[in-house]
Parts: sequence; C-alpha cells; structure tokens
Amino acid sequence: MIRIESAGLRSTVQDRGRFGHLREGVPPSGPVDPGAFAAAQALVGNDAFEAAAIEIVGGTFVFKCDDRRIVAVTGRDVALRGRDVVPGWTAAFARPGETFTVVCGERSRFAYLAVSGGIATETILGSRSVYLPAGLGRSLRAGDVLPLGSARVDVERAGRFAVSPDYDTGQIRTIMGPHAQRFTDEADSLFFSAEFQVEPESDRMGTRLSGLRIGAREGEILTTGVVAGAVQIPSGGAPIVLLAEHQATGGYPVIATVISADLGLVAQRLPGERLRFTRVDRDLAVAALRDARAALEAIA
Amino acid sequence: MAARARALADAWESQGRGPAVPTYASVVVRFDPLRLAPADAEREVMRLAQAHGHAVKEGGRLVEIPTHYDGPDLLETAERSRLSVEELVALHTGREYRAFFVGFLPGFAYCGVLDPRIVAPRLLSPRARVPAGSVAIADGQTSIYPFDSPGGWRLIGRTDVRLFDSTNQPPVLIRSGDRVRFVAL
Repeated sequence: MIRIESAGLRSTVQDRGRFGHLREGVPPSGPVDPGAFAAAQALVGNDAFEAAAIEIVGGTFVFKCDDRRIVAVTGRDVALRGRDVVPGWTAAFARPGETFTVVCGERSRFAYLAVSGGIATETILGSRSVYLPAGLGRSLRAGDVLPLGSARVDVERAGRFAVSPDYDTGQIRTIMGPHAQRFTDEADSLFFSAEFQVEPESDRMGTRLSGLRIGAREGEILTTGVVAGAVQIPSGGAPIVLLAEHQATGGYPVIATVISADLGLVAQRLPGERLRFTRVDRDLAVAALRDARAALEAIA
Repeated sequence: MAARARALADAWESQGRGPAVPTYASVVVRFDPLRLAPADAEREVMRLAQAHGHAVKEGGRLVEIPTHYDGPDLLETAERSRLSVEELVALHTGREYRAFFVGFLPGFAYCGVLDPRIVAPRLLSPRARVPAGSVAIADGQTSIYPFDSPGGWRLIGRTDVRLFDSTNQPPVLIRSGDRVRFVAL
C-alpha cells in the first residue's frame, strides 16, 4: 500500500492512457508528459506500457509505503525528500514507513511519482487513468491508501538515474499537420517564425497559446479524429496544442503536429513562458522517439 | 461516407496494430511507429480502403430518446425556421436519425440528418455550461450532451436517459451506426 498524507493541488493516477474507447468519445487521458512518465516507470523497474503512476500538480505531495519499494520522481524542476534529498530522475530506496515529500520547484508543473510494482487501483474501461470530467476515478486526497502491485525490490536500483530533457528550451519540433493545405504560405511562415506565449487556461486537455494570430482558409473543418500534439488553429487564430486529455474528435484545422518526443516540453511550459515551433520530417520524428525509448531501455 | 469510415476503422483495428477513430469522412489510425514504419502503415491503410471501398449496408440498433421539448432555444429556433414549436417538435421526432460517430464528449453521438426546414446554425458564442441530458441541434445534426459541458449547439429539449455509464458494456447508450429516434413526452 501507498499512503497519501498530502495530495498536492490536483493529483491523479495515470497509466499510459485509455486508448480502447476513443470511438465512444472517451479521451485517451494518461500522462501529459509521456517521456517523464516512462522514465519514472523505467527507473523503478516497471513496464511503462502496463503500470500506473501518480501525476502530481502543484502543492505538497507527501507519501509513505508500507513495505520496501523503489520510488522515483520525474518532471520539470522536481526532487524527492526522504531522509536525504534525492534529485529528480533518480531511483531511491524507500524503507517501510519512510515519509517522502515530492519537492516541486517554482518551474514545476506536472511531476510523476512511480513506485515499483505500480499503483494498482482498479481499472475502468481497461485503464487506470483518471478522467475527471466523466467521473472515471477521482483526484487523490490526504488519507488515501492505494494498493501497489507486487514487485521484487532490487536495492541495486537506488541511485540509478535518467537524463531529463532540457525543459527550459522553447524549441518545439513538429511534423506537417494533416490540414497544412488550409494555410497559406504566409500563415505557415508566420507560424514557424512567431514566438508564442503559454496562457494560464492551459491544462491537461491542451496548451493554449497567444501571440500572433494564424488565419486558416475556410475556418472550421469537418470534424475528424485528433491526436496529442496536434496544433489546432481555432477561428480566433490562437493555437492550441492538444495534450493527453484531448477530446477524441475536433473541428479545427491542424497546422502542425508536435513530435511525440517533444510533447512533454510543451506540457511543462508554465503560463507566461514562450515557445516557438520548428519543422522536422517524419523520419527525424520517429528517430527521436526511438532514441527516447532506447535511453529508457538502458536504465530499465 | 461515415459508414465507409467505420468499416475502414474496423478493418484497421482487426489487425491489432492500434485503435482507429472514424468520423464523417476520415479515419485516424493509431500505431506504434517503432513497430510499423509510417510508410508501411500508409500502404496498409490504402489497401484496406480499397478493399472496403464500397458502400456498406447497415442495420444498427434503434435507440429511443424520451424527450421533454422545453429547451431554452426552442422558441427562437422555431421562429428562425418559420415554424411553430409544435411543427418543429413534429419534424424533430418525425424521422429516424443515424449516429454517424461518437466524439467531443464520452457518449456524444453526432446524429443526422435534420429535416432541412429546421434552421439551426451553431450559437455565435457558445454557452459556458450546457446541462447534461440537453437535447441539441446544430447544422443539420442532433445530439444529447452526456455531461455538463461548454457547448454551442441549440438546446431544444432534455432527456433523463444516461448517455454514458462506465459500468455498462458498452459504456455508451448510442454507438456509431445506431439508429436514433426522439419521442416527445
């Protein structure tokens, strides 16, 4: 069991996502920073395609485990304080009953806490990912006690670390969007030369941007399926980068799609921070994903 | 067209490479690009699209939605359509709709098509909160909001039936391809 003594502002259990009910309009959910999530799981020896972790948003998160576990925290500007302070992106050994605090720095937005064995809450529609708007699970509260999966505790793992991406960069790589033909060359070059600012309304559904307004031809499109990373251009011209909790379908043209490896860089940008988009080809996007997975396999 | 999209999505999913999301005239197919090269995925989708290129004949279950026609936009929409409220209700209940696909919210089925005499463009400024159970119309289509949500469709009624219940199998009341009929209470 893991006992939550303080739950932060809004913390939820997330696994890789609920991809089996998109056709029923159920958003995928899952971690908004899939790279940080997968790294935390790899550090504690879990399979990131199976196990669930806790996504922590803001405030103080304090927990302890009943038995010996390996734990790790990842994300932007995060650390773990037990008897000692363990940096983020590093596996730590948790003694039975040892109290840990997830330390979220001022540039922190989404932190991931993984525990060896995984968070073993019940699955709903084939996934442990919480989706609050449809009441699929709920956010964590102080006093919650969650079951953990069984796992052999490999003490040798303590101290193992993964390399955090450079969250301070505002360079976001994209591939061509499915509706690129809806944008004039001018709108396109404006999009790739402009600097956008992250708006406070950004959430797990998407990162909302302001700055230059991008115009699309003929406004909205016939509603179509969408993916995380899609950069939608609504009629007002202010782009939205869709994240894990995006609706299954959307009606705005998509000018570009953020590559999988850079999704976390978008999600972790704080309101007021800036970013700009660059264009890469599909082969490079796949290669970046391959590199990211290989890095995790090396620590798993 | 939506039926073809569904057939292509089914064919993709039967290959076990990932889920697919069909809508009116497109299908999003998902796959792991490290297990299936994007160029190979494109070829495979083209092959499936050709194999499933003909119109699909559909039955579909019939779902009835008992509806109180007392929505806040009912009168205005009737006036805009140069119909009486009774005529608008008769037109809305008078035909069987097809659920083209489910999206936007869990269980929100895009159903059509409306009688063309009903004139119902989307609201210029969407409501911040549409109550769950609202029966709505917009741009030739009709649907029911399964949850409280922002929304820009015109609200003409409400129903007490639950559109989404995660403990049911399937969790949605209306599936894509189903036939839908509204019944006035």
